[in-house]
Amino acid sequence: MRLYDIVVNRIREIQELSTDKEPVTNLSASATLAAEITLISTVLIAAIMLRKINDILMIVVVLALFIALIAAMPIMPRLKKEQSDSFNSMIFYVLLALTIIITLFYWGVRNV
Amino acid sequence: MNPLIPIMVILPITCALLLNLIHTKERSVKILAIIVGIALPAIPLLANYGMHYFGGYSPLIDNPQMAQGLPDMITQSALNLYHPAITYSFASAQKIFVFILGLIAFLAIFTSLSEIKKASGVYAFLMFMGTAAVTAILLSDDIFNLYIFFEIAALSQVGIIIASRTEKSYETALKYLFLAAIAAPMLLLGIAFLLGLTGNVNITDIIYAINSGLVDPQNPALLMACGLIFFGWLYGSGLPPFHSIKSAVYSKALPHGAALLQAFSVFTFVGLGIIILRIFSFLPFTQVAIIVVSLLAMVLGITMALMQTDFKRMIGYLAVGELGYIGIGLGLGTALGITAGLFQAVNEAIITAFIFIGFGTILYKTGITDTNKLGGLMVENPKVALLVMLSGFAMAGVPPLNAFQSKLQLVQASITAGLPELGIIMVLLSIVTFMTFMKAFYTIYLRPKPSELEIKNKEIPRATIISLVVLLLICLILGLFPQIVTGQLEQLAQGLI
Repeated sequence: MRLYDIVVNRIREIQELSTDKEPVTNLSASATLAAEITLISTVLIAAIMLRKINDILMIVVVLALFIALIAAMPIMPRLKKEQSDSFNSMIFYVLLALTIIITLFYWGVRNV
Repeated sequence: MNPLIPIMVILPITCALLLNLIHTKERSVKILAIIVGIALPAIPLLANYGMHYFGGYSPLIDNPQMAQGLPDMITQSALNLYHPAITYSFASAQKIFVFILGLIAFLAIFTSLSEIKKASGVYAFLMFMGTAAVTAILLSDDIFNLYIFFEIAALSQVGIIIASRTEKSYETALKYLFLAAIAAPMLLLGIAFLLGLTGNVNITDIIYAINSGLVDPQNPALLMACGLIFFGWLYGSGLPPFHSIKSAVYSKALPHGAALLQAFSVFTFVGLGIIILRIFSFLPFTQVAIIVVSLLAMVLGITMALMQTDFKRMIGYLAVGELGYIGIGLGLGTALGITAGLFQAVNEAIITAFIFIGFGTILYKTGITDTNKLGGLMVENPKVALLVMLSGFAMAGVPPLNAFQSKLQLVQASITAGLPELGIIMVLLSIVTFMTFMKAFYTIYLRPKPSELEIKNKEIPRATIISLVVLLLICLILGLFPQIVTGQLEQLAQGLI
């Protein structure tokens, strides 16, 4: 129950800072917790694929990600806030993605 | 030349224009929309496989009469193979895609005509125009022609959101339009780079130019073109970073409109994705990028769906997340992976339409989309509740429904390709999809009915129930006999590796 309580309290804290006025129900807290576990486990499993590049790199990245993600919990309420319908944040992420894609396709393919 | 190939595009455009002209005559709008709606899935079934060259200009190699008087410098060079006309290609995979798109368009139009009190010619115009544009994207072998229809599809989608007249639909449409103003010129710039390098906009000719060494595959402009077209693909299909706006688009449209909009996204994803794989297959990094973006879409889409309380937004995010499965299949780059990915695309288009129309009955009955304000609707109409539940089962990949087969094939393909981690992630996210759906189903149907909840419309239109039953039957047929579709898709998959 302790982890559950921490999640509920953190959701409350984040909701108080935002304009989101939805009540924190058992259902929403459970959903947040499930989404949190899904996100962390998926990222860690995906990081294991780095073994295709280098085994040591994979171990270092998985351990680093594990520590970083556990330290950053709960991530989902922040992620939800970040992925709001705000036009500013949409434009920001679109331009960021364009920059990353062009950089990777242009320099990545030629130099890596 | 097969006249039915261009008719797949020309017929819905003509119908759209006529509907716009007669938009005040409700009865005529209904009759015309239903007749052309029935024709949409029928034409690809009747059409023979082949190519269509607009203006009749086939390549010289296929046209010895025209080549006869020409000098050797033309007939003995690559020009002999080039396609001077805008070319449409219709093979077994296109047959499946255009048929499914036409069927979803028909069911969406059929449902909308019964659910909307006064049939809107403008709304039907936009639905037909979008369908024509996405059909052209699937058929066209000319990348500039594809771009034109890509723009028409984007504008039709904006129009459908505005015509839905839901709360804040104008705002969402405007945001989508602004983002199109960034992404579409990037796609066009990528096409311009390809034209500049190869002197051609025909995709087959571009591939020939790259493979035969006429263009340096490591040319910086070619790499830029790949990145820019890839970015345009993200916008067209609603992959991250466009997943938020795409899910908002679905949630602001009426359910039947959303059912069609998601089909547009799925088939744009497939159409452009195949082109990216065809042209840039020499860059292994392309496949890595497709897998990374697909993983992001799956994780962000499905976890964000779990956090939603608005059921339309929840389905919107789930639809985005499910796109990731298709991308994983394409990104694996094996014949089994691509076949499974394309099969998943067909299944997703059907299932998401099924879910949107199914949950649309809640909106029709109550006018509410917030699950916090809903409950106890099982007693209102248990048969429809069962259909909605089966749609969720289908999306999660429960046997014997269709997504079970495609997801199983995707897991098998990922293991065969040496990436079992992808298989584990897909299984994990399918479980979370099921959980997300059951959360919504419980809040809407199973928990006690809130005292303030009012039922506005008692009876669900028969057309909506017919649409749901048709979609369920297709899910069952494809789940029990997947080879009906996979057999048609294997040829395309073999050609892409």
